[in-house]
Amino acid sequence: MFDKIQHLTPIISHEEILPSIYLLLVEAPQITSIAKPGQFVMLSCSERILRRPLSIHRVDKKGNLSLLYSVIGKGTEWLSQKKKGEQLDILGPLGNAFFLQSQAKNLLLVAGRVGIAPLLFLADVALERGNSVTLMLGATTASQLYPENLLPGKITFLTYTEDGSPANTTIATQKGRVTDYVALYAPSSDQIFSCGPTGMYQSLKNSLESVKYKKSVQVSLEVRMGCGLGSCYGCSISTDKGMKKVCQDGPVFELSSIRPGEIKI
Amino acid sequence: MNLSVQLAPQNKHGLQLRNPVMVASGTFGYGMEYVGIFDIQRLGAIVCKGTTLKPRQGNPQPRLVEVEAGLLNSIGLENIGINALVKDMTPVWAQWQVPVVVNIAGESIGEYAEIARILAGKKGIAGIEVNISCPNVDSGGMEFGVDAITAAEVTRAVRQSTGLPVIVKLSPNVTDIVKIAAAVAEAGADALCLINTLRGMAIDIKRRRPVLGNVRGGLSGPAVKPVALYMTYQVAHAVKIPVIGCGGISSGQDALEFIMAGATAVQVGTATFRNPCAALNILEEIEQFMEDEGIRDINALVGVAHRQSNPSGSQ
Ligand SMILES: Cc1cc2nc3c(=O)[nH]c(=O)nc-3n(C[C@H](O)[C@H](O)[C@H](O)COP(=O)(O)OP(=O)(O)OC[C@H]3O[C@@H](n4cnc5c(N)ncnc54)[C@H](O)[C@@H]3O)c2cc1C
Ligand SMILES: Cc1cc2nc3c(=O)[nH]c(=O)nc-3n(C[C@H](O)[C@H](O)[C@H](O)COP(=O)(O)O)c2cc1C
Repeated sequence: MFDKIQHLTPIISHEEILPSIYLLLVEAPQITSIAKPGQFVMLSCSERILRRPLSIHRVDKKGNLSLLYSVIGKGTEWLSQKKKGEQLDILGPLGNAFFLQSQAKNLLLVAGRVGIAPLLFLADVALERGNSVTLMLGATTASQLYPENLLPGKITFLTYTEDGSPANTTIATQKGRVTDYVALYAPSSDQIFSCGPTGMYQSLKNSLESVKYKKSVQVSLEVRMGCGLGSCYGCSISTDKGMKKVCQDGPVFELSSIRPGEIKI
Repeated sequence: MNLSVQLAPQNKHGLQLRNPVMVASGTFGYGMEYVGIFDIQRLGAIVCKGTTLKPRQGNPQPRLVEVEAGLLNSIGLENIGINALVKDMTPVWAQWQVPVVVNIAGESIGEYAEIARILAGKKGIAGIEVNISCPNVDSGGMEFGVDAITAAEVTRAVRQSTGLPVIVKLSPNVTDIVKIAAAVAEAGADALCLINTLRGMAIDIKRRRPVLGNVRGGLSGPAVKPVALYMTYQVAHAVKIPVIGCGGISSGQDALEFIMAGATAVQVGTATFRNPCAALNILEEIEQFMEDEGIRDINALVGVAHRQSNPSGSQ
């Protein structure tokens, strides 16, 4: 009867996989059994008044749930100190999810830095149903790029760094921003999914307009959240279809329905 | 053990709660949001999001900022409007055991009365809570709640438009809350709820500008508790109608403090954000306290702190 679970979950592993970016694995079978790609959890961070939203990064068959986060402020700083065996108070799964069209075959995933978080869960699901998945990942510099060895095997991994520094990846890193290259891969894809800072979505919109891309582009939004459940109206944004709550109607929105330039956090 | 309380003893419908723990307006949506998380029917009552005559879009983002031991919000009363509430929410509420109180807000006295009339006779509504911390457009934007005369006028207008129990929710941003409470009680309120949020702001020193899109917001959470508690203490002593205490309540201990200060019931707001089941946990802690202390009826605790205190009223 309850479709959102709040419970204490033990930490299975917790590791700083990139500078200030942590990969956290918790045992949360009640959440993983119902979670869908694009959904998020709200994590209680010490005595902080508000929980912190984090996307579900991946789930496994054993009921483990992983989160990928960068340390930003007080909440994530506190979180980063937590050790294996300690318990975390997690609420989820929350929000809508990415919508994979049944006829879609070639998927393009566009990530900015830690924005890769919700996209890998999606990639895992899509690869399982036989889709071909291309993941474009951008960062300021190569040391911030997600390690290739953690990716699912059959994914095509393309990397971009603003300073041109090369990552140790199968396919050579390109210099520039990930959105500068989207137009090259968009035309052959049936659906595009993206997650990154809000500013990236305006560039993404412009790039896709330049190739007159008309198919579905879904993006996951990061805004300040209160309850995470649709009750407080703290995270509302204005869209083509009126005011929408990012936590309940989102966090995934069609890019065409939002105005990225107007979203403030 | 008796936990039930009566919030509208003078009203023909009455407003009987199974227990004194309610959830506060604006922090529990329309109740539906929590159905998937815990058994909301166990709550004393639910107060829904503040609702206006027409739907409202609310204030610019950011609307929330955490501060020391508290939260600032400037939601700006984004809501679906009273007609959508009647059409989409009340049929669901009518199936629930837990009473739902509709929190209403207006821009003019006429608007408050009109909303109350729309709600009259609708199934699924146990009472109306009148939020008077709203700008009065007719009088240049001053809040209804800061003046005893206008606060009483709003109360009277709603009272005359509905037979439902009427709770008036007071603003703490006033010089003398007792005077306003007395005026509102005199004007026919069945109960009072206090407090709404305290005005405040936060500044982002890197960007050198206010954090909230609307500059100012309302402060809630543990930081406001002592203020709310003392106001409850003063008002409960001064009026004869039931008082509902609200402001920073996060534990059974907090709730019991308000009850001993004279509150017949309490509302839990901001605490729900960290712990969606906060209200339920608070109820369980109250029950535990009563069991430990051998108290059979919660009503026996209401206002007990008054009997123990020095009546001089000085600090
Ligand atoms: C649906 C959703 C999914 C997210 N998924 C991830 C993820 O997988 N990995 C990740 O690293 N980050 C993610 N974020 C962003 C993450 O929630 C913030 O970085 C985090 O809340 C910062 O908290 P803090 O206490 O460290 O920072 P503080 O600055 O101390 O936080 C203060 C307040 O601001 C809010 N806040 C600050 N920065 C942000 C931000 N960028 N976005 C939203 N709220 C913010 C906090 O939640 C908090 O309420 C997600 C945000 C949303 C809305
Ligand atoms: C996000 C938020 C939205 C609120 N919206 C309303 C509202 O619509 N109407 C109202 O009367 N009070 C509203 N309040 C005030 C609360 O109901 C309550 O009076 C106040 O927050 C103090 O209690 P607390 O410290 O337990 O939160 C809101 C409070 C918060 C934090």
